[in-house]
Amino acid sequence: MRSTYRVIMFLQTAGAYAILIFFAYLMLFPFLFMFSTSLKDQTDTFRYPPRLIPQEQTTVSVPGYDGLKPLYYALVGDEKRPYALVETNIQAGVFANPNNPEVTITHPLSDVQPTGGADSQQTVTFNGEETKLWDVTVEGVTTPMVQLSQTVLGRFVDPENPSLQVLQNVRLSEPVEKPTIRPENYSEVTTLNGLDRSLTNTTLITIAVVTGQLITSVLGGYALARLRFPGRDQLFVVYLGTIMIPFVVLITPLYQLMVLIGWVDKLAALIIPWIFTAYGTFLMRQFFITIPKEIEEAALIDGASRLQILWKIFIPASVPALATLATFTFLYAWNSFFWPLVIINTGNRANHVLTLSLSILRGKAADNANLVMAGAAIAVLPPMIVYILAQRFFVESATSSGVKG
Amino acid sequence: MPSAALLKTADSRTSLLLRILAIWHIILSMAALAGIALIWAIAPQAVWLKIVISIVLALVGIGSGITAVWIQKRQHRGRMLSLIINYLGFLFCLLYGMQVLGVFLGIDAMAGTFGRGIIFLGGVLLGYLISAFGDRYDNYPARQKVFRQIGKIVILISLAAFLLAVGLLQGLWALILQFNNPTPYFLLVGLILFSIMIWAMWRNPTAEAMKAGNVHEEMLSGLLFLSPNLLGFLLFFAGPLLFSFYVGFTNFDATTGNRDWVGLQNYAKLFNLSIVQLDAPDQPVTEALDVQVYDELTRFNVLGSSFIIGAEDKLFWLALRNTITFCILALPLSIIPALLLANLLNSKLPGMKFFRAIYFLPSIAAVVGVALIWQWLYNAAVGYINFAISSSVNLLNGIFSLVMADPQIRWLSDTRTALLAVVIMSAWQWIGFNTVLFLAGLQNIPGELYEAATVDGAGKWAKFWNVTIPLLAPTTFFVVTTAVINALQLFEQVYVLIPTEPPGGPNNSTLSLVLYLYQKGFQRFQQGYASSVAWVLFIVIFGITLLQYWRNRAGGSNY
Repeated sequence: MRSTYRVIMFLQTAGAYAILIFFAYLMLFPFLFMFSTSLKDQTDTFRYPPRLIPQEQTTVSVPGYDGLKPLYYALVGDEKRPYALVETNIQAGVFANPNNPEVTITHPLSDVQPTGGADSQQTVTFNGEETKLWDVTVEGVTTPMVQLSQTVLGRFVDPENPSLQVLQNVRLSEPVEKPTIRPENYSEVTTLNGLDRSLTNTTLITIAVVTGQLITSVLGGYALARLRFPGRDQLFVVYLGTIMIPFVVLITPLYQLMVLIGWVDKLAALIIPWIFTAYGTFLMRQFFITIPKEIEEAALIDGASRLQILWKIFIPASVPALATLATFTFLYAWNSFFWPLVIINTGNRANHVLTLSLSILRGKAADNANLVMAGAAIAVLPPMIVYILAQRFFVESATSSGVKG
Repeated sequence: MPSAALLKTADSRTSLLLRILAIWHIILSMAALAGIALIWAIAPQAVWLKIVISIVLALVGIGSGITAVWIQKRQHRGRMLSLIINYLGFLFCLLYGMQVLGVFLGIDAMAGTFGRGIIFLGGVLLGYLISAFGDRYDNYPARQKVFRQIGKIVILISLAAFLLAVGLLQGLWALILQFNNPTPYFLLVGLILFSIMIWAMWRNPTAEAMKAGNVHEEMLSGLLFLSPNLLGFLLFFAGPLLFSFYVGFTNFDATTGNRDWVGLQNYAKLFNLSIVQLDAPDQPVTEALDVQVYDELTRFNVLGSSFIIGAEDKLFWLALRNTITFCILALPLSIIPALLLANLLNSKLPGMKFFRAIYFLPSIAAVVGVALIWQWLYNAAVGYINFAISSSVNLLNGIFSLVMADPQIRWLSDTRTALLAVVIMSAWQWIGFNTVLFLAGLQNIPGELYEAATVDGAGKWAKFWNVTIPLLAPTTFFVVTTAVINALQLFEQVYVLIPTEPPGGPNNSTLSLVLYLYQKGFQRFQQGYASSVAWVLFIVIFGITLLQYWRNRAGGSNY
């Protein structure tokens, strides 16, 4: 009885972990794909079936040939051997014995002779048509055959012994590959698309928005939490009511405001309007009202100014709330796309932010998945690193959004 | 007695200052009223802008006049109003001056040189770390002080180096060069005058003369502390919001320059539908509808008779349909797995924090980056999703000896699957966020309830249905409304994931409301019409928020 119970418990736990691991894989897979593709060679991104480990074709130097030659698996007898491709575009024909057309031989055209000589080539009736006959020599045996179709072959040689050679179709040959990574993709996409400038812009904007928003939210939150002035509670209700207002309602008038003050296409438009938020003020106010009043009153009696109290008592006590607001704002500023898309001219490359550059890169490097993924990684990595360092605050900023409304 | 004489001179100085202040406010009041007249007489600005400026100036003028009276009567509210008006004047001169001198536009130039300076910001961090390291020597104040000093010096040097590297000197020089017309000088004079007036009113003797007490100090501090946030909020949020409401009633069009009041015309056009009964189900549109006005939206049959629906703005209705479809599909797909995962994570098994961290990962990544990744996952020829489908089909065919065909879905270019592709990607990105919210809700459920249920002999499922689900209802409600609000604002996902031109394709199958707004407002620049669309969306979202608010009131939840 007890042992059955334990088996059931074990199965339940195993099932739970199986589901958890399945979803973890599902959540991580796109990022794995991104990193692996960002390290691939372009041809590797188009290989089917797709593979996660970046691989590149091996090349070797072959005695008697210039440069490095790509290696393929060549069928030598029944054995697959790594051979180097030294010559392509060899015109070849597919030949068959007219009496036994099921068995075909692919042979280079330069190596067959008209049966009976060029002037008096013999013919045979094949499939009801008068067809020319060719002498095809395979392993010393010459057979007159008919040509069924034409194709192109490559010449593959054994890199150690170039006299051993095989002709086979290049496209159907399996390349010899080894795992190789190409970190150059990152530098290539950075310089190619001006991503370095976009990265600088995004960094600057994020630092400015986070700092500015922390300052205005702390000051405003303190006023709303602790200082009595006429209209305070009504103002608080107004602030609360505007938190849920979607940005899309604001986008047209805010754009017109930017036109009015001449900030269209300027970085100021990405910074200044975003450092005053109702949400941050609300968050800080909610935290400040939980701090006991007694400490503050004692400091006031000692003659400390309001600013000193805020700096010496409130800010040290509210580091978790500040960190939560900072992470929230950081994500918002780093990932924002709609507003930059509207306000920054697509032609003005110097003022692009990362997200904007990426959306343009998508169209420009449509065939270079490796470059696009390197760009995506540049955009996605910084939040991930910050997330790994300060996971707690990210989770808190998500749950604290539950305080809204 | 010298002290009395001193007191008397102090008194007379204060009353002199107060007289100056009163005169200043009268001048200010008259200047503001004159400004209104001037604006209507000569300024070339648009009418709505003139109205806004006039209202502000009128408020300043009237307020300033009242202030002068109150100052004469030595009432403390006169001091408060005076300080507020002078503070606002000071800020105006400062910010307008910065704008005129090009300080805000200078951010662009700074971004160009910021890369050179960024390494010195690392020095600031180093300095901070040095001071923080000093805190380890709590018992050796001398050593701690040395560390703090070194830290401070490193921070200052790095900061100076940073400012020099990003071109502080060039910036200042550029600023000085801007003093080439009278405006900056006027603003500078204004700045100095307002500062003097603030000082004159702020000083303690004046405060005493105006009978200001601690309560008033607190009020002033409160307003001062809130002012940056409040002013920014008014300028960049409340003002634009009201303006957007106004624009929704105009035919504001940046290409034609129209900006006339058209009343409800935009809204009428948006919602103008026509339903006509057809003689035959396949009757041509031209016979049934006035095709000058209406486009065919859809046809349907009720009780054997056919109807056709025509819409004046077909794209709006298509966008509405797509947005609602997106909501209906994305909600269960992102919420049901989240509920399951949250329950598993709440089981106190080892490693749960690790899983939670992984699930949350997608929601912190930029939508643009995520969409780029998924665009390749959805690739019809070499994408992993089709590869997974082909492999599964082959596997099933192999096991059950079936002959299912490989569907080879062209996810992003097929009108039937494009929206679904957006749904799947969005759900993937939202699951972790919802899981964390659910987990927080689950952890608030008291454990005794489960124990009580166990005592009553309830099984796992019974507990889930009878304890977890009812008690999680407030969280669920919050998650659902948040998800709906997010889903209604669908834009970036479509814009980046679907590679059609114009975005929203193929054949408008992924056109969302916000995307439609974007096209109207920023590609055709019919911003009046776009504002109307925005307000329709706003009213829907506001309705959902209100629902949430009432629900929370009723449920008394802690959200």
